[in-house]
Amino acid sequence: MNDAELLGRIARTLKEDVGPEVADEYARTQAYLGAVVLQKLARQLALAPAHDAARSADYAELADDLRALLPADAPARLAAALDAFDAARDADALAGLVGALHEAGTALAGETSDVLLARVRRTLRADLDRRLEIAR
Amino acid sequence: MNADCHEEAPLEPRILDYLRTRLPDARALALANVQRIAVGWSHETWLFDLDYEEGDEAHTLGLCLRRDPGNALLRELSDLGEQFRVLECLARTDLPAPKPYWYESDPAILGAPFLVMEKVPGTCPNPWGREGRAFYAEAAARGTLPASFTATLAQMHTLDWRAAGLEFLGEPAPGNGFARREIAKWRALIEAAEHTAEPVLTDLVCWLEGNAPPTDRVTLVHGAYRTGNLLVHEDRVSAVLDWELQVLGDPLYDVAYVLSDLNREGTPLLSNLVERDAFVRDYEAATGFAIDLDTCRYYDALYAMRSVAFWMSASGLYAAGRSEDIRLARTAWSVPVVLDQAARHLGY
Repeated sequence: MNDAELLGRIARTLKEDVGPEVADEYARTQAYLGAVVLQKLARQLALAPAHDAARSADYAELADDLRALLPADAPARLAAALDAFDAARDADALAGLVGALHEAGTALAGETSDVLLARVRRTLRADLDRRLEIAR
Repeated sequence: MNADCHEEAPLEPRILDYLRTRLPDARALALANVQRIAVGWSHETWLFDLDYEEGDEAHTLGLCLRRDPGNALLRELSDLGEQFRVLECLARTDLPAPKPYWYESDPAILGAPFLVMEKVPGTCPNPWGREGRAFYAEAAARGTLPASFTATLAQMHTLDWRAAGLEFLGEPAPGNGFARREIAKWRALIEAAEHTAEPVLTDLVCWLEGNAPPTDRVTLVHGAYRTGNLLVHEDRVSAVLDWELQVLGDPLYDVAYVLSDLNREGTPLLSNLVERDAFVRDYEAATGFAIDLDTCRYYDALYAMRSVAFWMSASGLYAAGRSEDIRLARTAWSVPVVLDQAARHLGY
């Protein structure tokens, strides 16, 4: 029995055996919500290897694509944010990159800003969809 | 009354002792029909009747007591003192709201600051539960409550807030000052939650800042006007409740909340109660305001930011050990759901 299975079984016990036997409304709610949290943790644990691998691959591809799209005369802050994201490949750095993209906005020629943002958003959507597998 | 397990002494006798000080001419005080409402995650709330004698007459006063548990969600934004002050101002108007009696900031009395207000006749069916949805569906078919819902909102948006003394809530700067102020408020709450970075949230906030609409007018804004925050009695709104998010600002902020998909489930009826066309028609007729749907869509996105702030704050309270309520822990998984809504607002 792995960790995810253990959490799932405990969740089922809370929901099916403990909760229905509790008279107090607040305590009963706590039992049911405890079951919900454990179920989500179980699913999160089970999906973590696949999700982590997918995220790493997405971030690597994003960094490569943005490097190819970024004009040579892009604002320094935007270029620095891309370097930081390429180095860290985490949510913090990605948030910084998104902020820098918005800030660069009109400083980038034509539709470059929209193209870059659209590419980033593709990665953001993929990550959201993975998280929603657990959250919903 | 079930005393909070963390209380040093039972609450009921202390409430009676307090009420004796507030009603010095009353004799034979007794509490009846005591009920603790465990719905919200903010302040603790009790409903009860106070029976007493004064002179030769017997009296019964329906009361509602709200107490600050010290870890209430959003308490920094609207403490009980402000809520009491708002209710005092509203008592000068015709807007249906509970009459406020007393507010005490001294924690020595009942363990924490609290306020006592009128227990208004009515029920507040939960629109997210099966029974509540059925209640509102039946009310919708009769037509009276939907009209009352819209009329009460219009009344709120057309009351003279200056005459009522509500200017202490702070008038927003002209132009797009209202939207910018709301963004700043929710950003502060998000930063205080110390949540891990969320790139989608950064995307949303940047967009909100870059597209903030100007406000045509400033009115009292409730901030969470929907079924579930309204007492209903005899098919009419008997009181607007939950004065925790009120501001002075753009009435379309409330209108957007009413129009939002977030406040209805399995029905096209707004707030599970009101037909959309009827709401728009009746609201515009009652207020003289035109509903700008582009502005409402902007505020819908702003509500997504607000929801993120709520859920980050809630899960942050649990993570910091300031609450043991597992409902707060659960909200950690509400964050991606709201971020999904935000992303869809932005087109992805």
